Amino acid sequence: MAEFNALTESVIKGDIKSAVAETQKALETGQDIQSIIDDGLIRAMDDVGERFSKGQIFVPQMLRSAKTMQECMKLIQPHFKEGDVKAKGKVVIGTVKGDLHDIGKNLVSMMLEGAGFTIIDLGVDVNPEAFVEKVKETEADIMGMSALLSTTMPAMRHTIDALKEAGIRDQVKVMIGGAPVTDDFAREIKADAYAPDAGSAVIQTKKLLGLS
Amino acid sequence: MKVNKGTSLPFYRPLNPAHIEKIDGAARWILEHIGIKIHDRHFLELMDQGGATVDSATSTVRFSAERLDKALAEAPRKFILHSRDGLNDIRLGEDRVYFTNGGRVFRALDVNSGNYRLTTLEDVANTAALVNRLAHINFYIIACQAHDLEPEHYHLNDFYHAFNATSKHVMGGCDSLVGVQQVWDLAALMAGGEQQLKERPFFSVITNPISPLTIESNTLNILGFCCSHGIPATCAPAPICGATAPATLAGALTQMHAEALAGVAIAQIFAPGSKVLYGAVLTAMDLRTMDFTMGSVEMAMMNAAAVQLAKRYDLPIYASAGVTESKRPDVQAGSEKSFSNLMVAMAGGDCVHLAAGMLDSGNSISYEQYVIDNEILGMVQRILAGINVTEETLALSVIQKVGPGGNYVMEDHTIDHMMDEFFYPDLCERHLFDIWVQQGRPNMLSRATAMVENILEAHKDCLDPQLNSRIRSAFPGIKDV
Ligand code: B1M
Repeated sequence: MAEFNALTESVIKGDIKSAVAETQKALETGQDIQSIIDDGLIRAMDDVGERFSKGQIFVPQMLRSAKTMQECMKLIQPHFKEGDVKAKGKVVIGTVKGDLHDIGKNLVSMMLEGAGFTIIDLGVDVNPEAFVEKVKETEADIMGMSALLSTTMPAMRHTIDALKEAGIRDQVKVMIGGAPVTDDFAREIKADAYAPDAGSAVIQTKKLLGLS
Repeated sequence: MKVNKGTSLPFYRPLNPAHIEKIDGAARWILEHIGIKIHDRHFLELMDQGGATVDSATSTVRFSAERLDKALAEAPRKFILHSRDGLNDIRLGEDRVYFTNGGRVFRALDVNSGNYRLTTLEDVANTAALVNRLAHINFYIIACQAHDLEPEHYHLNDFYHAFNATSKHVMGGCDSLVGVQQVWDLAALMAGGEQQLKERPFFSVITNPISPLTIESNTLNILGFCCSHGIPATCAPAPICGATAPATLAGALTQMHAEALAGVAIAQIFAPGSKVLYGAVLTAMDLRTMDFTMGSVEMAMMNAAAVQLAKRYDLPIYASAGVTESKRPDVQAGSEKSFSNLMVAMAGGDCVHLAAGMLDSGNSISYEQYVIDNEILGMVQRILAGINVTEETLALSVIQKVGPGGNYVMEDHTIDHMMDEFFYPDLCERHLFDIWVQQGRPNMLSRATAMVENILEAHKDCLDPQLNSRIRSAFPGIKDV
């Protein structure tokens, strides 16, 4: 097994600059790509995950490490041969029409991004048409909607209706969340998943895409 | 206990004078160099005409030191949030501390079943009726979303039912210009005319910027309406440490102070002399998990510090305290609420909102919690009233009269002072053990449940029947609860 201690350390620390430099060095010295990923990056993220679950590090650190790994992957990607890695999945996400709360939605995006998904963030006050258009344009796997106001929850239903009208409801999985949103409500409007927090949003996304 | 006269406020100062100057200087730097984002051409033009520095490329409004100081100088230091009967006027800027409940939750706890349910218009009327009776909740904030109302006559209804249930001052958020116009029309009819309402505004409006450093045009529409109509308002930033504000308390305070001052300054550009409260709703994330925390002890410290920052400019403050993550009226709720209410009150916050009724990070209310918090707030008011030291209270003559080995039970001095020296709680357990057992082992919560029932049963509508029928024929959009 190749040694990537400096790289692993940098990813654990969330030090993007030095992790990127270490990755560059590894590539230049002709290290095996799969080994950089497995023995460097994934080993670091396993460690991060373990430290997080023991409460030794906090969410900002975990997100920083995930971001660091992504930056390293950007360098590695051009070296992949066709079919080596497949993208995990695309998520179009936004806060629904009439609603300006975005902190929860942003956290969910960061966590999903950290877990390797591609995020297309439409921001806040997103009307159903904008969701539909983006889903079509990007051929997203998941459409995520956030609502923090009980009064904007109906917009989730309207957005799902808009997907149906556009004839693409069966091409995309819908996940919803936000403080007033419930599992029952998700069932009622026939969303595919509900997540009570950002960690669960990652688990649900993986489930929806058959990744776990 | 009456509302304290506050002669010796503040008692608690988390910032020393040098800290205040540092934070204030940094906030002013933010306003001069970074600015506030406003995505609206019309308002950018208005700010430009009002002498602020507008950068249309980035849609930001900045304030030079001179422009800021001019605007802040125009803001009134003192004004009154009127009650309708004149008995519960909120006199801002006079070193008094007032408490009010927290607003606009979406669910309520049913203590008996332990379940939560969506709130309705009836909950607005009931919580207003509770506040009307509870002596230490000095005015009412529209407590919850009425899920049984359509948007069309939304604020007409929530404010009407609040006015009908309490004669104390009513404050609330409005979703739109149409909404605030509805409340204005209703209140003007009640006041006997627009001029009368302007002279004694008995309702006020809450708006919020979006941290960091952004204000939406809908918010400015509503704030602008208030300023031009003499309705007191606040534009209260709600930055969250570690999410929408720096993770350091000083950093969050600096950003919040810039946002709050901008709110005050913008109101003065809308209409010089506008009655606006410096607003502060500081909270934090639990960075272990990224759970939102309102009941943290840092929340209490920051909101107390915010009072000092508002007082740096002698501005009355809409401060925050009394919140908890707890989902039940329990030990956590009691301790977190007591800490923050006491600390912000001891800092001298003019009106402390969120102080009563809330649970579950501001998402929920419980009727029982209103009554329990009222008791906590009564104790806080007692603390603020301080220890009265005079010849009479030193009690030397009665000490001499009773002499060594006697007792004071039946002395005139005892009877003369027993009513104003002590806070008498309604809910706290004070009996001996055996009596407590005989009474069925009551506790604060069981007593609160009974008290809620009594208050709601005894409640009578506040609106005079004649006025009420005029209101009902003028506003057919009003629904019954
Ligand atoms: C796609 O899949 C998924 C999966 C999971 C998902 C998901 C999507 N989205 C979220 N999740 C989940 O994962 C996240 C991370 O674990 C979690 O996200 P959360 O968003 O729940 O959690 C965040 C990490 C932290 N939480 C938050 O950020 C929200 C906190 C509270 C206090 C809150 C804040 C901060 C704000 N607010 Co607002 N605000 C409240 C909130 C009360 C509360 N306790 O939630 C609430 C939601 N607000 C309310 C109100 C009324 C309002 N707010 C308003 C404005 C604001 C601020 C601008 C001040 C600010 C928002 C800043 C911002 N950039 O978002 C106004 C509305 C503006 C609008 N049109 O949207 C205004 C109308 C206020 C007014 N002036 O009257 C209440 C809603 C009542 C209701 N009817 O539902 C409220 C409960 C507070 C209250 N009691 O007043 C999960 O829910």
